[in-house]
Amino acid sequence: MNFLGYARPDGSAGIRNYVLVIPGGFVASKICDSVVGAKTIYTADHGSGRTKNDRETIARVLTGLGRNPNVGAVVVHAASPGAGYPELAPERLAEEIAQSGKPVAVVDPAKDGGTFGAIEKGIKIARRFSYEISQQRRVPCDFGRLAIGVKCGYSDPTSGLAGNPAVGYLYDRLVEAGGVAMFGETTELIGAEHSLALRGRTEEVGRQLLKAVEVIENLAKASGQDIRSVNPVPSNIAAGITTLEEKSLGAVHKAGTAPIEGVLKYAERPTGRGLYFVDNWMGHLSIFLGYAAAGAQLVVFQLGGGGTPGRTILESTPAVVAPLLWATANPITLARSEDGVDYYSGTVIEGRETPEQVGERLVKTVLDTASGTRTRSETLNYVDPAQVYTREPVF
Amino acid sequence: MEAKRALIISPKDNVATVLQDVEAGATIAARQGADVREVVALEKIPFGFKVALTDIPRGAAVYKYGEIIGKSSQPIGKGELVHVHNVEGTRGRGDLATQGAQQ
Repeated sequence: MNFLGYARPDGSAGIRNYVLVIPGGFVASKICDSVVGAKTIYTADHGSGRTKNDRETIARVLTGLGRNPNVGAVVVHAASPGAGYPELAPERLAEEIAQSGKPVAVVDPAKDGGTFGAIEKGIKIARRFSYEISQQRRVPCDFGRLAIGVKCGYSDPTSGLAGNPAVGYLYDRLVEAGGVAMFGETTELIGAEHSLALRGRTEEVGRQLLKAVEVIENLAKASGQDIRSVNPVPSNIAAGITTLEEKSLGAVHKAGTAPIEGVLKYAERPTGRGLYFVDNWMGHLSIFLGYAAAGAQLVVFQLGGGGTPGRTILESTPAVVAPLLWATANPITLARSEDGVDYYSGTVIEGRETPEQVGERLVKTVLDTASGTRTRSETLNYVDPAQVYTREPVF
Repeated sequence: MEAKRALIISPKDNVATVLQDVEAGATIAARQGADVREVVALEKIPFGFKVALTDIPRGAAVYKYGEIIGKSSQPIGKGELVHVHNVEGTRGRGDLATQGAQQ
């Protein structure tokens, strides 16, 4: 099973072909306004006033986006509030990205004639990159060269019954083919962690998974609040999900049945292939960014939506360089957002398709998207601000 | 009137998820594999919500997916809606955690 992708110098396969300009900010925005196929990140997480661990997380996001297979060339600029910290120094970011073998250039207002001089130089370089990478052609690539990240959101009972199992089917197929499948949302493992921990490739993996859940549950307890007042979120409860445990037990179906190879930090690149648990947070503006930085060429939002009044699709490209594919199993959500949903699995609940049939249809949808078919959210230019999942206090 | 469809995910479960809106008094045919259990809805159960398959005493475990999803906060009768008004979670309960119980 193949898709048509861009062969990168490090052996990875891109499903899109972008010029990336980082970090976010005025210089990056002006370059991207001018250059076709150039992307940047919109975020307030520049690193200033952040701890070393958080700065490392932000650096992982930036270098990870640069190394993402969907990126053909990168421009790094020095006009960022965090650029003075060693972790976020533009030269360091550029050097790490360049290890992937793709072209990387640095523009610096201090050397290139101020902010507007850097913008002018950046536009010139990004235009050249845009032209040069457009000369690449898609070639057949094996399904197993994909890495995918998933989140389930606005979950309702259709999520646990059909939507997440369909993603689980995709994940099993992807892992069999040698791909990388990432899932996370640590809070939403509470109540389902013990059976999941048994699937660790080693006992140590299971122990790390339980530890990640324990840390989050202790934070919840320290908050003094019933977690149900936070998560399940109101739309979950409005759709019939009663407790966090119930939500978690439905949510874990998206992980399929493969062994869990490792527990990753947010935006950490897996060292091997297979199924990985990522210790991340469910927020959609955060989680998809982290998956893309970890190397996911594609991200999937498995949407319930039954408890959300009005429209539920969020017109958004939160993974910056990785297309977002919207899936749902809820017929009401589908009817409300026909121009936003890429894939529907509710036919299982309706008795019109078997779990295998809907699962195979998702595999095909993923392959088509990988070959270049746009996801619905990709047909809009709107970009949401992204949020790096940092975990330490600010000073 | 045709019985309303519902799904029991695991044989251990004491609730079923209804797959159609169910009015009070309607019969629900809850399916678990080849087994079908009938229960009469004592109240309205909307699509995707849970109905009790047995009487569940106060403080008893509520099972879905064969796992505990919480415990009943009041007695629940067979055929009643099972949701936040009569079930509470047992995990992440910061409201119940005392200073001494925190790790």
